[in-house]
Amino acid sequence: MKKMIKCTINNYPVEVEEGTTIIQAFKKLEQEIAHYCWHPGLSIAGVCRLCMVEIEGNNKLQIACNTVVQDGMVITNQSQKVKDTVRWGLEFHLINHPLDCPICDQAGECVLQEQYMKFGAYQPLMSEDKVKKRKVVDLGSKIVLDTERCILCARCTRFTDEISKTKELGIFNRGDRSEIGIFKNKPLENDYALNTVDICPVGALTSKKFRFQQRVWYLKKAPSVCTGCSTGCNIDVYYNEEGLWRIRPRHNSSINQYWMCDKGRETFKHVNPSGRLKSSFRHTAEQTEKMTTFQALQTLKLDSKKIGLVLTGSYTCEEYDAFLDFFQLHSIYHWKNNPKNFEDYDNFLIRGDKNPNTKGLLESINKRQLKLEDCTQLEQNISHLDLLIVCAPENHKLYPCLEEKINLFLKSKELVWISPHSHTLLQKPINTVWTIPSKTYFEKTGTFINHHGTRQKIKAVASIVDSARSLEEIIHILKTGQTDLTQIASIRDKMKTNYFMEQKGSL
Amino acid sequence: MEHKLLTEHYNKDNYKSLEGYKQCGGYETLKLALNKQPKELVEMVKASGLRGRGGAGFPTGVKWSFLPDNNEPRYLLCNADEGEPGTFKDRMMMEKAPHQLIEGMIISAFAIQSHKSYIYIRGEYTDSISIIEQALKEAYKQGYLGKNILNSGFDHEMDIYVGAGAYICGEETGMISSLEGKKGQPKLKPPYPAVKGYLEKPTVVNNVETLAAVVPIVRDGAEKYKAIGTERSAGTKIFSVSGNVVKPGNYEVPLGYPLMDMINKLCGGLPPGRKLKACIPGGSSAPVLTAEECEKACLDYENLMDLGSMLGSGAIIVIDDSNSMVDILSVIMHFYHHESCGQCTPCREGTGWLDQIVKNILHGKGRLQDLDLIQNISQHMMGKTICALSDAAALPAISFVTKFKNEFIDYIQQNKISSDNLNQVV
Repeated sequence: MKKMIKCTINNYPVEVEEGTTIIQAFKKLEQEIAHYCWHPGLSIAGVCRLCMVEIEGNNKLQIACNTVVQDGMVITNQSQKVKDTVRWGLEFHLINHPLDCPICDQAGECVLQEQYMKFGAYQPLMSEDKVKKRKVVDLGSKIVLDTERCILCARCTRFTDEISKTKELGIFNRGDRSEIGIFKNKPLENDYALNTVDICPVGALTSKKFRFQQRVWYLKKAPSVCTGCSTGCNIDVYYNEEGLWRIRPRHNSSINQYWMCDKGRETFKHVNPSGRLKSSFRHTAEQTEKMTTFQALQTLKLDSKKIGLVLTGSYTCEEYDAFLDFFQLHSIYHWKNNPKNFEDYDNFLIRGDKNPNTKGLLESINKRQLKLEDCTQLEQNISHLDLLIVCAPENHKLYPCLEEKINLFLKSKELVWISPHSHTLLQKPINTVWTIPSKTYFEKTGTFINHHGTRQKIKAVASIVDSARSLEEIIHILKTGQTDLTQIASIRDKMKTNYFMEQKGSL
Repeated sequence: MEHKLLTEHYNKDNYKSLEGYKQCGGYETLKLALNKQPKELVEMVKASGLRGRGGAGFPTGVKWSFLPDNNEPRYLLCNADEGEPGTFKDRMMMEKAPHQLIEGMIISAFAIQSHKSYIYIRGEYTDSISIIEQALKEAYKQGYLGKNILNSGFDHEMDIYVGAGAYICGEETGMISSLEGKKGQPKLKPPYPAVKGYLEKPTVVNNVETLAAVVPIVRDGAEKYKAIGTERSAGTKIFSVSGNVVKPGNYEVPLGYPLMDMINKLCGGLPPGRKLKACIPGGSSAPVLTAEECEKACLDYENLMDLGSMLGSGAIIVIDDSNSMVDILSVIMHFYHHESCGQCTPCREGTGWLDQIVKNILHGKGRLQDLDLIQNISQHMMGKTICALSDAAALPAISFVTKFKNEFIDYIQQNKISSDNLNQVV
């Protein structure tokens, strides 16, 4: 244990660990302190000069990010001296910054804009010409740079130097001609590149996919867990009544710190209504019948059938438990996205196991001392089965072997396909196929266990497809023969109406 | 009177060769030093009162004693990136007496027990580079450098590193960044170079003149050196005098020498018919002195500080009444705008802003409120950045605008009248 030392910040006494910087102490106390270049996940640059504090007994103001708290220090950032300095620091940032907030994608989540509003710096002192720099600089397939908006905080360069260690970005030239840039023929294409967009305090770095799509103040955000792989990065999901728009990392010091991979940011598209399976179907060689999930489950007739079950790691622990407790199963198979690189790991966040809850699946199986066979075993056994239930992956894109496996499943006498998405191969079968819409992580409550065995709760945020049912709900219907789901507490959560449907006023 | 302690033999033709240097007692002091205890040498330099000659004037011996007492490799860096406008003393020292610097460096390295040193030379100093290169070769050949120097058991390697022409690389941590192969940008302090410098190892950075001055200190003793100059500014200093004087050049005088004596007695006074208007006593970053202040000024650290200026690198720029102060400030502001490394916002944006405002005044587009604005900008650039470049730009701006305000107002108002007339014509 580190030694604790005492100091006073803005008249509040606080105890911090020895070696804590003043800015960390401010954050601990939740005292406001302006800063652009400091980021808790990066090294200290000390260049924006905004986090100035006054320390008793020291005539010169110090930057809070690079000054370590000493025992008995009396620190303030509320003195007139500090306020003037911060006000001027803002002025220096603004003199060459284009005031194009109305067309800037960062507007609404721009720290420079926040300070500008806070200080009411509406009358610029500068009447001279602004420095002209490059606009719309293409940094690669993902990111666009506006060097005039850039305040040269060096967060992005520190990210590529220290975190992704790919070193694509640099600051070129000097003085007020300084610009962020890439080296010739070396675009910013690493797997974590979009983190630079998150940490950019202004609208200098913007994501090609997200820019001009939505104004951020019309989006609502909700905490969740990334389902792109078994790392389970903590995320914030940004959504409105039309669906999901973007995903950003949420801090979790033991899992993803402040970061996530660019692939993970894509894992919202399969949640959105377009392409989702919106009702249950029964496909036979002759006809396709549309029905409710309740009707579909009624027509299954499970009694005295030999049932095989295929599971993927996309579902919550609670769903596995409900499913495994209910069925008398002949055999259970584990469908992996890609057995060859299932164990891959890039030594940072990306894992080859593209499922959020493989550990949870294994736990549920082991708890019941069941046998989990690899999906390749199904080939030999499929003819012995009367019915095959496939709890298909939530995000089909992460399963390169999808079509090959569907063709295998179709050999079964009867097939139940549970997934948020259908597939064209399923719609013209030789035998009978039921397709039943399931919920995505955004619509259900439950637990994921990540690669390290960390249990993480996800909560239903809103419903996207009303007819979709979680595995728990499907079992509930099968058990009780009732469609009323409000008896299950977790299900009541899921039936929350979309916030925007009710709250949306005139824009 | 000139006091030629370092520059004594500079007029001898072969002094820059090892042979010529030895004829004048060269490398004898090194033998003396190698027989002493390193700590003894540090104490000696401390006792001599020698202060850094590069600009900041920090006591050299104290700087050396900041090195942590551990077994990590340490580095001695010689700052020969002389870039302060008006300064040209290091260049002369390297060109006239390369071995004096090398000897001073070996003694200093022995004192701080460093086995590797670099001389970081400004890239434009092509002559200095080739002369030092030649001198290093000779020194290695004669066993003054390399393994087991003069059978003392002390090893030391010395190399040259050539800068690429950035003023900021004269700042010690900027120089370290450049030497490490990075962009020449100052580093955050703490940690200070004495603890984590070049390659994150303990490092001492000293100016050419400082290191050369170690030779007479060790040779003649600290007492003798301390007796020269004033109580708190000991020793001699080489001043680079430029501007409106009859005989510009480098002059070595004891510290505390009157400024007017320097101008009138040593440099032959101002050109005939001219009147002294102002003087910058310590390089372009030092606040300017008016003619009246010059009368009171003595060339030492304390006296100039009392007058609100500084000794800096010892570059005296003499300005007579034929010059426009707006013009001169514009040149100085352009320089700092050009040389700001761009890391810290107040400096990056402030230097450019000041440059533009002063240029506008010069070109007849000034406004009266600009004078207050210059003061305000400068005040908020000072002491707010990683290194002192921001201060270096702010100090002259404030002093020029305060001390020669009327001249600036003249520029603004005369031009205003002419532009008003222009409007009427239109």
